Amino acid sequence: MRLLEMSGIKRHYVMPSGTVKALDGIDLKIKEGERILLLGPSGSGKTTLLNCLAALDNPTEGEYEFNKEIVPRGHAEKMTTFRRENIGYVFQFFNLLQDLTVLENILLIQELSDGKDEARARELLALVGLEDEVNRFPAEISGGQQQRVAIARSLAKSPNLLLGDELTGNLDSATSATVMEVLVSACEAENITTVMVTHDENLVQYATRVVRLDSGKIISDEKV
Amino acid sequence: MSMLLTKRLARSLWRTKLRLSAVVLMVAIGVFAGIAFGAYANSVTTLYDDIYDDDEEGLNLPDLWVENNAGNWNESTAENLCQEIRNQWPDVELELDHCEPRLVTSGQLFSSDADIGMVSAVWHGIDEGDVNKVWIPNHDCCSGRLAANDSEIVIDEHAVDALNISVGDTIRISAGAGFALNYTVVGIGFHSNHLYFTAEGALLPAQPGTFVTGYMTSEGLEKIANYSAGSSNQLLLDIVGTPDSQDPDGSGLTTLKANISAIVGEVDESPASIYDRTGVDSVEFLRADVEGAMKTYPVVTGMIAVVAGITIFLSLQRLIQSQAKEIAVLRTLGVRRMSIMPGYIIAPIFIGAAGCLLGAIPGVLFGAPAMISMYEEIIGIPIINPAVPDSMVIQNIAIAMAVVFLSGLRPAWQASRLQPLEVLRGEHEIRVSSRALQKLTSRMPATVGLTIRSSIRKPVRLMFTFFAVGISMLIFGTMLLMMDSMSEMFLGGVEERQNWDVQAYTIDGEDEIIEWADENDADYELMIVFAGNPANDSRQLTAYGLENVVTENDDSMYLVNLASGELPKSGMGVPEVLIDEGINHFLGWKVGETHSLEFGTKTVDVKVTGFTKGDLSRTVYFHRSDLSGIVGLEATVVMLQLPEGVEVDDELAQISMGIDVREDSLAAFETLMEQQEGMFYSIQGLGILIALAVLFNTLVMNLAERDTEIATLRVLGASNNRLGLMLFGEHLAIGLIGGFLGCVFSILGTKMMISSFVQWGMYFTVSATTSTILILIGIVVGISISLTPFGMWRIKKMDLVAKVKDLSQ
Repeated sequence: MRLLEMSGIKRHYVMPSGTVKALDGIDLKIKEGERILLLGPSGSGKTTLLNCLAALDNPTEGEYEFNKEIVPRGHAEKMTTFRRENIGYVFQFFNLLQDLTVLENILLIQELSDGKDEARARELLALVGLEDEVNRFPAEISGGQQQRVAIARSLAKSPNLLLGDELTGNLDSATSATVMEVLVSACEAENITTVMVTHDENLVQYATRVVRLDSGKIISDEKV
Repeated sequence: MSMLLTKRLARSLWRTKLRLSAVVLMVAIGVFAGIAFGAYANSVTTLYDDIYDDDEEGLNLPDLWVENNAGNWNESTAENLCQEIRNQWPDVELELDHCEPRLVTSGQLFSSDADIGMVSAVWHGIDEGDVNKVWIPNHDCCSGRLAANDSEIVIDEHAVDALNISVGDTIRISAGAGFALNYTVVGIGFHSNHLYFTAEGALLPAQPGTFVTGYMTSEGLEKIANYSAGSSNQLLLDIVGTPDSQDPDGSGLTTLKANISAIVGEVDESPASIYDRTGVDSVEFLRADVEGAMKTYPVVTGMIAVVAGITIFLSLQRLIQSQAKEIAVLRTLGVRRMSIMPGYIIAPIFIGAAGCLLGAIPGVLFGAPAMISMYEEIIGIPIINPAVPDSMVIQNIAIAMAVVFLSGLRPAWQASRLQPLEVLRGEHEIRVSSRALQKLTSRMPATVGLTIRSSIRKPVRLMFTFFAVGISMLIFGTMLLMMDSMSEMFLGGVEERQNWDVQAYTIDGEDEIIEWADENDADYELMIVFAGNPANDSRQLTAYGLENVVTENDDSMYLVNLASGELPKSGMGVPEVLIDEGINHFLGWKVGETHSLEFGTKTVDVKVTGFTKGDLSRTVYFHRSDLSGIVGLEATVVMLQLPEGVEVDDELAQISMGIDVREDSLAAFETLMEQQEGMFYSIQGLGILIALAVLFNTLVMNLAERDTEIATLRVLGASNNRLGLMLFGEHLAIGLIGGFLGCVFSILGTKMMISSFVQWGMYFTVSATTSTILILIGIVVGISISLTPFGMWRIKKMDLVAKVKDLSQ
């Protein structure tokens, strides 16, 4: 079943040196349960596409439907609501709140989404293998563990779409593999669609589909 | 020192223009206020020195006064007293220059203006005029000459405007139980006893048109008061040089006074009191005021500079934190520590220099003249040669520059000590949150826990912020608490605990006043007010002899404000008394102890049964019957409650030495408050503004540091309203903690400041009422939460795309 559809999406930035076409006519359809990897060189438009998917950025042109509804643009609060209801996001640098414990980082997102459920938070932490670390502060656990907390956090409100921006970019290869395995199993268990931006070709093994971009355009779109 | 590094730092600082401006402004305000207060203190000090000086221009203020409390000396007694004092002069180090008899008596002026009518007066008969002369400065305020014959008079400048008197006018006056006669006004000037222009026994400046003083020849006063030639009731003793009346033991005044008391007692039996300059209310009040101002102005500059210094310190620390990676890269590339440091030291110096310049110029041009003219308006004395000494300006600038310079040292040292590897690995930002705090807040919702933990994430910054807010609130609170205390002291005294309408002063003439009261169906109550001093201590106190020493009694016209202990009983072997808290503070006298008091030449033991509060000057409360036996007078004051329709008339004025009307006393307080409220409110506003700047600076830094956190939450779907609520909670928590600490700081600071300023002649304490505490806390809370919309605006304005880019790099 189709989760989202983008057609003719453009994102142009007007700079003093001229117009930069970060996205230049993207057509993309994503079905539920897919794990998509966005690959491409620096400046190819991967992150901009991710931002448009998350309704963080406003496309200059084009249509974007999510669950057959038009995704809001130009209205910060409506875009926020869309993200709250549909999107999970994992950053490269984890960005856990240092003053909160592992468990509290997840509870916080639930609270902000009006749905605190500690049992569910603990279940998610167990899903990413951190059931013994619930009361530790982020600074007390490793980078790989922090990223697993970030994944659990992004799943806390049961998003339809999980987005990851270079989420293994700050980890060594062994840890990257662990994190990706956790992510795949967690998303399969929760039936969550994922789109991940990366430079790392090794991550292709965890995807069901690979989309390659260059100069703001999709140059290939292959199922794995 | 690298010019490029300094330029880079300057640009970084420029990016925080608003905060930078606030800091510069704070330094400027500190210097401005210091110069304005300093100019006032210096000008007034010079003024008093000039007025009191023993030269052609000055009035030659005496060093000791001998006052007959029971009437007048005749000419031969007065001459004999002076002669004996000269002959038996006991001190080899202090040399007597003059001994001059003087006649001073109360009276009335009958204004030709029906609306004014009769005005209470004090008349001085100044015969030889070597000591305590009339001061007629060469200034627009004053004109004319001294009285030369027995129908001429000089009127005090404080009174002429309201009474519409000018040189050449004829005025009708009376004195004591004498006649009403016409006198020609030949001059307008001042006198040391009335520089601070209050009616008999009053604390506050007299209301315009209610009090007048005049200076005539001794013959002139004798004529109108119907006294024999050469009558006097004061001896003015002028000593060569000026022995320090603030250190009477060290300067020899205490011993000298005791010896003169013995000499006077040998010659004449009249109860006489002997006092130095501290016993002359006008002189002592103005001296205490100027001493307070001299102590205050460096403190004011210092306090504001400290707040500015803290703000600079915190801002530089934040700047270094945000520039840590750049500094680390520079250090990695081989830039020496000593090249990093200077910029962070120079920055506060530039901020301080700009602030000093912005504060000093308007301070000299506008602040000092405004302060001086406000003083002239309140006290009513012209400052002939206003001075803004260079040394005082430099002193203020030096204080401000020293504080801001010191504020940059620690951040500069921290910047040079950053470890490149730690910074580049991001280790310097990693820190384990407090486990204790986590446990304490673990049962709360995560948003509340985060709010509390975020609020106190930077304890050092927060402590400095609270300290600075505390100082700001001290500036605000001092004014608030002092206004409250003054109101309580004065209104609490006159309005709540005294229910007389008129006080008629007398010496041995109470029977006539009682007769007047009976004729007019007025209730009356006798009281003795008599000057005395502790034994072997030249400092003066006032003894009150009350008909009933009570705290609550509708029948009594004068209630005491008992702070601790018990009310005294009358007729005990050793008279029982209440002493005011000031005597306890300065002399350490305690309840249950027996001490000696001197009244003129008589020494008596008294037993202290309790303390009173709310007395500005040093006060002892007796039962009238006890005090009467000691001083030999039945009453010096008759308090009257007038029935409706009865007012003070000429007859009462004629039979009284002076009259104090309750309504005038209350109006005087209102006037004083109105005159000073501009300054009070300005200083309060200043305190609030500084607190606002300090809190703004800290909360903006807190917000800036939480950009990543807030951006993360925004990306994850937190709504602006939820984040706003979190910010509100954080600001409320900071406001409550800061408000509480600011309140404590303010109350303790004001108490400490007041306790360092209080003197024998002027003692008061401050205490905070619930409403004062709520105002102090409420202001900080108000400022803190009023910054929430700014925080929300900042969050709303946040470029999430750029932030996400930052989060992924």
